[in-house]
Amino acid sequence: MGADRKAEEERLIAFMIGYQKGKMDDFEGLFAALKQPLLRYLWTFVRNATVAEDLLQETFLQIHRARQTYTPPRPVRPWIYAITRHVALMHLRSGRRRKEVLANDQLPEVPVPPEMEKLADQATLHKMLAELPRPAQEVLMLHHLLGLSFLEVGQVLGIAAGTAKVRAHRAMKALRTRLEEQGGEA
Amino acid sequence: MSTDLLPESLRRSISADLEPVRPLPPAWRRTLQAAAVAAVGLALVIFIFKLSPRADMEQLPMWLSWGCTALQLGVGVLLLGMALREAIPGQGVPLGAVALGLGTAVLMQVLVGIVTWMHSHGMPLVDGHGMSAGITCTTHDVAMALPALAVTLWLVFRALPLRPSIAGLLGGAGAAVTADALTHVLCPMSDLRHVLVWHTGALIGLMFIGWLAGKLWERKRYENA
Repeated sequence: MGADRKAEEERLIAFMIGYQKGKMDDFEGLFAALKQPLLRYLWTFVRNATVAEDLLQETFLQIHRARQTYTPPRPVRPWIYAITRHVALMHLRSGRRRKEVLANDQLPEVPVPPEMEKLADQATLHKMLAELPRPAQEVLMLHHLLGLSFLEVGQVLGIAAGTAKVRAHRAMKALRTRLEEQGGEA
Repeated sequence: MSTDLLPESLRRSISADLEPVRPLPPAWRRTLQAAAVAAVGLALVIFIFKLSPRADMEQLPMWLSWGCTALQLGVGVLLLGMALREAIPGQGVPLGAVALGLGTAVLMQVLVGIVTWMHSHGMPLVDGHGMSAGITCTTHDVAMALPALAVTLWLVFRALPLRPSIAGLLGGAGAAVTADALTHVLCPMSDLRHVLVWHTGALIGLMFIGWLAGKLWERKRYENA
Protein backbone atom coordinates (compact mmCIF):
# COMPACT_ATOMS: atom_id res chain seq x y z
CA MET A 1 0.00 0.00 0.00
CA GLY A 2 1.45 3.39 -0.96
CA ALA A 3 1.93 6.12 1.66
CA ASP A 4 -0.86 8.26 0.15
CA ARG A 5 -3.21 5.33 0.05
CA LYS A 6 -2.40 4.45 3.67
CA ALA A 7 -2.90 8.04 4.80
CA GLU A 8 -6.22 8.16 2.93
CA GLU A 9 -7.35 4.89 4.53
CA GLU A 10 -6.39 6.19 7.99
CA ARG A 11 -8.37 9.36 7.32
CA LEU A 12 -11.43 7.29 6.36
CA ILE A 13 -11.07 5.16 9.50
CA ALA A 14 -10.87 8.34 11.63
CA PHE A 15 -14.03 9.66 9.92
CA MET A 16 -15.85 6.38 10.59
CA ILE A 17 -14.83 6.31 14.26
CA GLY A 18 -16.04 9.90 14.71
CA TYR A 19 -19.24 9.16 12.78
CA GLN A 20 -19.97 6.16 15.01
CA LYS A 21 -19.56 8.49 17.99
CA GLY A 22 -22.27 10.72 16.50
CA LYS A 23 -20.19 13.51 14.95
CA MET A 24 -21.83 15.11 11.91
CA ASP A 25 -18.55 16.67 10.74
CA ASP A 26 -17.08 13.21 10.34
CA PHE A 27 -20.06 12.02 8.32
CA GLU A 28 -19.63 15.04 6.08
CA GLY A 29 -15.93 14.28 5.72
CA LEU A 30 -16.71 10.70 4.76
CA PHE A 31 -19.26 11.86 2.22
CA ALA A 32 -16.85 14.39 0.70
CA ALA A 33 -14.05 11.84 0.48
CA LEU A 34 -16.14 9.12 -1.12
CA LYS A 35 -18.75 10.95 -3.20
CA GLN A 36 -16.92 10.92 -6.52
CA PRO A 37 -15.55 7.35 -6.42
CA LEU A 38 -18.92 6.00 -5.30
CA LEU A 39 -20.72 7.87 -8.07
CA ARG A 40 -18.29 6.40 -10.57
CA TYR A 41 -18.87 2.91 -9.19
CA LEU A 42 -22.66 3.35 -9.19
CA TRP A 43 -22.49 4.51 -12.78
CA THR A 44 -21.12 1.05 -13.69
CA PHE A 45 -24.51 -0.35 -12.72
CA VAL A 46 -26.98 2.30 -13.87
CA ARG A 47 -25.20 4.26 -16.62
CA ASN A 48 -27.14 7.32 -15.70
CA ALA A 49 -25.67 10.22 -13.73
CA THR A 50 -29.01 11.32 -12.23
CA VAL A 51 -29.93 7.83 -11.05
CA ALA A 52 -26.39 7.38 -9.71
CA GLU A 53 -26.84 10.62 -7.67
CA ASP A 54 -30.12 9.26 -6.24
CA LEU A 55 -28.50 5.93 -5.43
CA LEU A 56 -25.60 7.71 -3.78
CA GLN A 57 -28.03 9.22 -1.28
CA GLU A 58 -29.67 5.83 -0.77
CA THR A 59 -26.21 4.33 -0.24
CA PHE A 60 -25.37 6.83 2.48
CA LEU A 61 -28.72 6.18 4.16
CA GLN A 62 -27.90 2.44 4.16
CA ILE A 63 -24.43 3.21 5.49
CA HIS A 64 -26.07 5.23 8.24
CA ARG A 65 -28.46 2.41 9.19
CA ALA A 66 -25.62 -0.11 9.20
CA ARG A 67 -22.89 2.08 10.73
CA GLN A 68 -22.56 -0.18 13.78
CA THR A 69 -21.46 -3.06 11.49
CA TYR A 70 -18.17 -1.32 10.70
CA THR A 71 -15.45 -2.51 13.07
CA PRO A 72 -12.47 -0.15 13.44
CA PRO A 73 -9.67 -0.30 12.42
CA ARG A 74 -10.65 -2.51 9.47
CA PRO A 75 -10.36 -0.86 6.04
CA VAL A 76 -13.40 1.31 5.37
CA ARG A 77 -13.57 1.05 1.61
CA PRO A 78 -14.47 -2.67 1.21
CA TRP A 79 -17.28 -2.14 3.75
CA ILE A 80 -18.63 0.93 1.96
CA TYR A 81 -18.24 -0.43 -1.58
CA ALA A 82 -20.01 -3.67 -0.58
CA ILE A 83 -22.99 -1.64 0.70
CA THR A 84 -22.92 0.52 -2.44
CA ARG A 85 -22.93 -2.55 -4.64
CA HIS A 86 -25.86 -3.96 -2.73
CA VAL A 87 -27.85 -0.73 -3.14
CA ALA A 88 -27.14 -0.75 -6.89
CA LEU A 89 -28.13 -4.42 -7.29
CA MET A 90 -31.34 -3.85 -5.29
CA HIS A 91 -32.12 -0.96 -7.62
CA LEU A 92 -31.54 -3.11 -10.71
CA ARG A 93 -33.73 -5.86 -9.25
CA SER A 94 -36.51 -3.43 -8.51
CA GLY A 95 -36.91 -2.68 -12.22
CA ARG A 96 -36.89 1.03 -11.51
CA ARG A 97 -33.88 1.47 -13.68
CA ARG A 98 -34.26 3.72 -16.67
CA LYS A 99 -32.94 2.48 -19.95
CA GLU A 100 -31.32 5.62 -21.28
CA VAL A 101 -27.57 5.87 -21.33
CA LEU A 102 -26.06 9.29 -21.05
CA ALA A 103 -23.22 10.61 -23.10
CA ASN A 104 -19.69 10.25 -21.79
CA ASP A 105 -19.37 13.93 -20.88
CA GLN A 106 -22.08 13.39 -18.28
CA LEU A 107 -20.07 10.77 -16.46
CA PRO A 108 -18.65 11.72 -13.08
CA GLU A 109 -14.96 12.54 -13.31
CA VAL A 110 -12.47 10.08 -11.88
CA PRO A 111 -8.75 10.29 -12.60
CA VAL A 112 -7.66 7.41 -14.84
CA PRO A 113 -4.46 5.71 -13.63
CA PRO A 114 -1.45 5.69 -16.01
CA GLU A 115 -1.63 1.96 -16.82
CA MET A 116 -5.08 2.49 -18.32
CA GLU A 117 -4.48 6.00 -19.68
CA LYS A 118 -1.78 4.74 -22.04
CA LEU A 119 -4.27 2.40 -23.70
CA ALA A 120 -6.43 5.16 -25.17
CA ASP A 121 -7.90 8.58 -24.49
CA GLN A 122 -10.37 8.90 -21.62
CA ALA A 123 -13.48 9.12 -23.81
CA THR A 124 -12.58 5.96 -25.73
CA LEU A 125 -11.72 4.17 -22.49
CA HIS A 126 -15.10 5.06 -21.00
CA LYS A 127 -16.88 3.87 -24.14
CA MET A 128 -14.95 0.59 -24.27
CA LEU A 129 -15.40 -0.01 -20.56
CA ALA A 130 -19.13 0.51 -20.94
CA GLU A 131 -19.23 -2.22 -23.61
CA LEU A 132 -17.63 -4.87 -21.37
CA PRO A 133 -19.85 -7.27 -19.41
CA ARG A 134 -20.70 -5.86 -15.97
CA PRO A 135 -18.57 -8.26 -13.85
CA ALA A 136 -15.54 -7.32 -15.95
CA GLN A 137 -16.33 -3.61 -15.76
CA GLU A 138 -16.83 -3.84 -12.03
CA VAL A 139 -13.50 -5.46 -11.28
CA LEU A 140 -11.63 -3.06 -13.58
CA MET A 141 -13.41 -0.13 -12.01
CA LEU A 142 -12.67 -1.24 -8.45
CA HIS A 143 -9.03 -2.17 -9.00
CA HIS A 144 -7.72 0.03 -11.79
CA LEU A 145 -9.88 3.12 -11.45
CA LEU A 146 -10.75 3.25 -7.76
CA GLY A 147 -7.49 1.75 -6.52
CA LEU A 148 -8.75 -1.12 -4.36
CA SER A 149 -6.36 -4.03 -3.84
CA PHE A 150 -7.41 -7.46 -5.14
CA LEU A 151 -8.05 -8.53 -1.56
CA GLU A 152 -10.42 -5.57 -1.12
CA VAL A 153 -12.07 -6.20 -4.51
CA GLY A 154 -12.68 -9.79 -3.38
CA GLN A 155 -14.21 -8.55 -0.12
CA VAL A 156 -16.56 -6.22 -2.00
CA LEU A 157 -17.65 -8.85 -4.52
CA GLY A 158 -17.68 -11.82 -2.13
CA ILE A 159 -15.03 -13.70 -4.12
CA ALA A 160 -11.47 -14.84 -3.37
CA ALA A 161 -8.65 -12.35 -4.01
CA GLY A 162 -7.19 -14.75 -6.61
CA THR A 163 -10.50 -14.89 -8.46
CA ALA A 164 -10.63 -11.09 -8.49
CA LYS A 165 -7.12 -11.00 -9.94
CA VAL A 166 -7.96 -13.49 -12.68
CA ARG A 167 -11.17 -11.62 -13.47
CA ALA A 168 -9.29 -8.31 -13.70
CA HIS A 169 -6.62 -9.84 -15.93
CA ARG A 170 -9.23 -11.24 -18.31
CA ALA A 171 -11.16 -7.98 -18.32
CA MET A 172 -8.02 -6.00 -19.11
CA LYS A 173 -7.21 -8.43 -21.91
CA ALA A 174 -10.71 -8.03 -23.34
CA LEU A 175 -10.40 -4.25 -23.12
CA ARG A 176 -7.04 -4.31 -24.93
CA THR A 177 -8.48 -6.56 -27.67
CA ARG A 178 -11.42 -4.22 -28.18
CA LEU A 179 -9.11 -1.20 -28.33
CA GLU A 180 -6.88 -2.96 -30.86
CA GLU A 181 -9.88 -3.91 -32.98
CA GLN A 182 -11.07 -0.34 -32.87
CA GLY A 183 -7.58 0.88 -33.80
CA GLY A 184 -7.58 -1.51 -36.75
CA GLU A 185 -10.96 -0.30 -37.96
CA ALA A 186 -9.97 3.41 -37.70
CA MET B 1 -15.55 20.66 5.95
CA SER B 2 -17.24 20.35 2.57
CA THR B 3 -20.80 20.70 3.84
CA ASP B 4 -21.83 22.18 0.48
CA LEU B 5 -21.33 18.77 -1.17
CA LEU B 6 -23.87 17.12 1.10
CA PRO B 7 -27.44 17.28 -0.21
CA GLU B 8 -29.71 19.03 2.29
CA SER B 9 -32.28 16.19 2.42
CA LEU B 10 -29.54 13.66 3.25
CA ARG B 11 -28.05 16.00 5.85
CA ARG B 12 -31.43 16.36 7.54
CA SER B 13 -32.09 12.59 7.54
CA ILE B 14 -28.69 11.86 9.05
CA SER B 15 -28.77 14.63 11.68
CA ALA B 16 -32.24 13.53 12.79
CA ASP B 17 -30.82 10.16 13.83
CA LEU B 18 -27.17 10.64 14.71
CA GLU B 19 -27.03 8.74 17.97
CA PRO B 20 -23.63 7.30 18.87
CA VAL B 21 -23.45 3.58 18.12
CA ARG B 22 -21.19 0.87 19.46
CA PRO B 23 -19.47 -1.18 16.75
CA LEU B 24 -20.53 -4.82 16.63
CA PRO B 25 -18.01 -7.15 18.25
CA PRO B 26 -15.73 -8.96 15.79
CA ALA B 27 -17.05 -12.16 14.15
CA TRP B 28 -14.98 -14.43 16.43
CA ARG B 29 -16.55 -12.93 19.55
CA ARG B 30 -20.07 -13.25 18.13
CA THR B 31 -19.19 -16.83 17.17
CA LEU B 32 -18.27 -17.57 20.78
CA GLN B 33 -21.67 -16.17 21.86
CA ALA B 34 -23.43 -18.45 19.36
CA ALA B 35 -21.28 -21.43 20.45
CA ALA B 36 -22.16 -20.81 24.11
CA VAL B 37 -25.88 -20.81 23.28
CA ALA B 38 -25.38 -23.96 21.17
CA ALA B 39 -23.68 -25.69 24.12
CA VAL B 40 -26.50 -24.75 26.51
CA GLY B 41 -29.08 -25.90 23.91
CA LEU B 42 -27.35 -29.26 23.46
CA ALA B 43 -27.14 -29.81 27.22
CA LEU B 44 -30.79 -28.85 27.73
CA VAL B 45 -32.04 -31.25 25.05
CA ILE B 46 -29.95 -34.11 26.46
CA PHE B 47 -31.38 -33.35 29.91
CA ILE B 48 -35.02 -32.89 28.79
CA PHE B 49 -35.11 -36.01 26.57
CA LYS B 50 -32.99 -38.00 29.05
CA LEU B 51 -30.58 -39.07 26.30
CA SER B 52 -27.58 -41.27 27.04
CA PRO B 53 -24.66 -42.57 24.94
CA ARG B 54 -25.38 -45.52 22.64
CA ALA B 55 -25.07 -48.97 24.20
CA ASP B 56 -22.27 -50.09 21.84
CA MET B 57 -19.98 -47.12 22.53
CA GLU B 58 -17.20 -49.45 23.72
CA GLN B 59 -17.09 -51.12 20.32
CA LEU B 60 -16.32 -47.81 18.64
CA PRO B 61 -12.71 -46.56 18.67
CA MET B 62 -12.15 -43.30 20.53
CA TRP B 63 -11.28 -41.40 17.33
CA LEU B 64 -14.65 -42.38 15.88
CA SER B 65 -16.81 -41.66 18.89
CA TRP B 66 -15.54 -38.64 20.85
CA GLY B 67 -12.88 -37.79 18.26
CA CYS B 68 -15.48 -37.26 15.54
CA THR B 69 -17.70 -35.44 18.03
CA ALA B 70 -14.88 -32.95 18.69
CA LEU B 71 -14.17 -32.62 14.98
CA GLN B 72 -17.83 -32.04 14.12
CA LEU B 73 -18.21 -29.51 16.92
CA GLY B 74 -15.18 -27.65 15.53
CA VAL B 75 -16.55 -27.67 11.99
CA GLY B 76 -20.00 -26.65 13.25
CA VAL B 77 -18.63 -23.65 15.17
CA LEU B 78 -16.51 -22.73 12.13
CA LEU B 79 -19.65 -22.72 9.96
CA LEU B 80 -21.47 -20.55 12.51
CA GLY B 81 -18.52 -18.16 12.38
CA MET B 82 -18.68 -18.09 8.57
CA ALA B 83 -22.39 -17.19 8.78
CA LEU B 84 -21.63 -14.34 11.19
CA ARG B 85 -18.79 -13.11 9.02
CA GLU B 86 -21.05 -13.19 5.96
CA ALA B 87 -23.41 -10.82 7.79
CA ILE B 88 -20.90 -7.95 7.70
CA PRO B 89 -20.61 -5.92 4.47
CA GLY B 90 -17.19 -6.33 2.89
CA GLN B 91 -16.44 -9.53 4.78
CA GLY B 92 -18.51 -11.85 2.60
CA VAL B 93 -17.30 -15.43 2.39
CA PRO B 94 -16.15 -16.41 -1.13
CA LEU B 95 -18.59 -18.80 -2.80
CA GLY B 96 -15.88 -21.46 -3.09
CA ALA B 97 -15.41 -21.40 0.68
CA VAL B 98 -19.19 -21.56 1.18
CA ALA B 99 -19.40 -24.64 -1.07
CA LEU B 100 -16.43 -26.23 0.68
CA GLY B 101 -17.96 -25.61 4.11
CA LEU B 102 -21.37 -26.97 3.18
CA GLY B 103 -19.85 -29.95 1.34
CA THR B 104 -17.67 -30.75 4.34
CA ALA B 105 -20.69 -30.60 6.66
CA VAL B 106 -22.71 -33.10 4.62
CA LEU B 107 -19.79 -35.34 3.66
CA MET B 108 -18.49 -35.57 7.21
CA GLN B 109 -21.91 -36.54 8.52
CA VAL B 110 -22.31 -39.24 5.85
CA LEU B 111 -18.77 -40.58 6.34
CA VAL B 112 -19.10 -40.72 10.13
CA GLY B 113 -22.36 -42.63 9.62
CA ILE B 114 -20.79 -45.14 7.21
CA VAL B 115 -17.65 -45.70 9.30
CA THR B 116 -19.73 -46.13 12.47
CA TRP B 117 -21.86 -48.74 10.69
CA MET B 118 -18.68 -50.56 9.58
CA HIS B 119 -17.51 -50.76 13.22
CA SER B 120 -20.81 -51.61 14.85
CA HIS B 121 -24.27 -52.22 13.43
CA GLY B 122 -25.82 -50.97 16.68
CA MET B 123 -29.49 -51.55 17.43
CA PRO B 124 -31.20 -53.27 14.48
CA LEU B 125 -33.85 -51.41 12.55
CA VAL B 126 -37.10 -53.20 13.35
CA ASP B 127 -39.51 -53.56 10.42
CA GLY B 128 -42.45 -51.20 10.80
CA HIS B 129 -40.71 -49.03 13.40
CA GLY B 130 -38.30 -47.25 11.08
CA MET B 131 -40.57 -44.23 10.76
CA SER B 132 -41.14 -43.72 14.49
CA ALA B 133 -37.43 -44.18 15.27
CA GLY B 134 -36.60 -41.71 12.49
CA ILE B 135 -39.06 -39.11 13.74
CA THR B 136 -37.66 -39.40 17.27
CA CYS B 137 -34.09 -38.94 16.06
CA THR B 138 -35.03 -36.03 13.77
CA THR B 139 -36.83 -34.37 16.69
CA HIS B 140 -33.67 -34.67 18.81
CA ASP B 141 -31.50 -33.37 15.96
CA VAL B 142 -33.74 -30.37 15.32
CA ALA B 143 -34.26 -29.60 19.02
CA MET B 144 -30.49 -29.64 19.58
CA ALA B 145 -29.81 -27.44 16.55
CA LEU B 146 -32.58 -24.87 16.97
CA PRO B 147 -31.05 -22.77 19.81
CA ALA B 148 -27.79 -22.39 17.89
CA LEU B 149 -29.64 -21.65 14.66
CA ALA B 150 -31.94 -19.11 16.32
CA VAL B 151 -29.15 -17.18 18.00
CA THR B 152 -27.00 -17.26 14.85
CA LEU B 153 -29.82 -15.94 12.69
CA TRP B 154 -30.56 -13.27 15.28
CA LEU B 155 -26.91 -12.16 15.25
CA VAL B 156 -26.83 -12.32 11.44
CA PHE B 157 -29.97 -10.22 10.94
CA ARG B 158 -28.85 -7.66 13.54
CA ALA B 159 -25.93 -6.88 11.22
CA LEU B 160 -26.35 -6.23 7.49
CA PRO B 161 -26.07 -9.47 5.52
CA LEU B 162 -25.89 -8.61 1.83
CA ARG B 163 -26.53 -12.27 0.91
CA PRO B 164 -28.85 -13.28 3.78
CA SER B 165 -29.78 -16.63 2.26
CA ILE B 166 -26.11 -17.67 2.13
CA ALA B 167 -25.63 -16.51 5.73
CA GLY B 168 -28.74 -18.50 6.70
CA LEU B 169 -27.54 -21.57 4.83
CA LEU B 170 -24.19 -21.47 6.64
CA GLY B 171 -25.92 -20.90 9.98
CA GLY B 172 -28.26 -23.83 9.34
CA ALA B 173 -25.36 -26.09 8.42
CA GLY B 174 -23.34 -24.99 11.47
CA ALA B 175 -26.20 -25.59 13.88
CA ALA B 176 -26.99 -28.98 12.27
CA VAL B 177 -23.36 -30.16 12.42
CA THR B 178 -22.99 -29.19 16.10
CA ALA B 179 -26.19 -31.15 16.84
CA ASP B 180 -25.02 -34.16 14.81
CA ALA B 181 -21.71 -34.10 16.70
CA LEU B 182 -23.66 -35.40 19.69
CA THR B 183 -26.45 -37.40 18.04
CA HIS B 184 -23.93 -39.73 16.39
CA VAL B 185 -22.88 -40.90 19.86
CA LEU B 186 -26.43 -40.83 21.25
CA CYS B 187 -28.48 -42.49 18.50
CA PRO B 188 -28.34 -46.28 19.11
CA MET B 189 -28.79 -47.16 15.42
CA SER B 190 -26.11 -47.44 12.75
CA ASP B 191 -28.31 -48.74 9.92
CA LEU B 192 -27.43 -46.58 6.94
CA ARG B 193 -31.09 -46.31 5.86
CA HIS B 194 -31.85 -44.68 9.19
CA VAL B 195 -28.73 -42.50 9.26
CA LEU B 196 -28.91 -41.28 5.66
CA VAL B 197 -32.65 -40.66 5.59
CA TRP B 198 -33.31 -39.20 9.04
CA HIS B 199 -30.02 -37.75 10.25
CA THR B 200 -28.70 -36.52 6.91
CA GLY B 201 -32.26 -35.43 6.14
CA ALA B 202 -32.32 -33.35 9.35
CA LEU B 203 -29.00 -31.77 8.39
CA ILE B 204 -30.25 -30.81 4.95
CA GLY B 205 -33.60 -29.69 6.38
CA LEU B 206 -31.87 -27.35 8.86
CA MET B 207 -29.74 -25.92 6.07
CA PHE B 208 -32.94 -25.30 4.13
CA ILE B 209 -34.57 -23.60 7.15
CA GLY B 210 -31.58 -21.25 7.44
CA TRP B 211 -31.65 -20.51 3.72
CA LEU B 212 -35.41 -19.88 3.82
CA ALA B 213 -35.12 -17.57 6.84
CA GLY B 214 -32.53 -15.56 4.89
CA LYS B 215 -34.77 -15.39 1.83
CA LEU B 216 -37.78 -14.25 3.88
CA TRP B 217 -35.69 -11.64 5.71
CA GLU B 218 -34.35 -10.37 2.40
CA ARG B 219 -37.85 -10.13 0.95
CA LYS B 220 -39.08 -8.22 4.00
CA ARG B 221 -36.19 -5.81 3.81
CA TYR B 222 -36.70 -5.44 0.06
CA GLU B 223 -40.39 -4.60 0.55
CA ASN B 224 -39.54 -2.04 3.25
CA ALA B 225 -36.89 -0.39 1.10
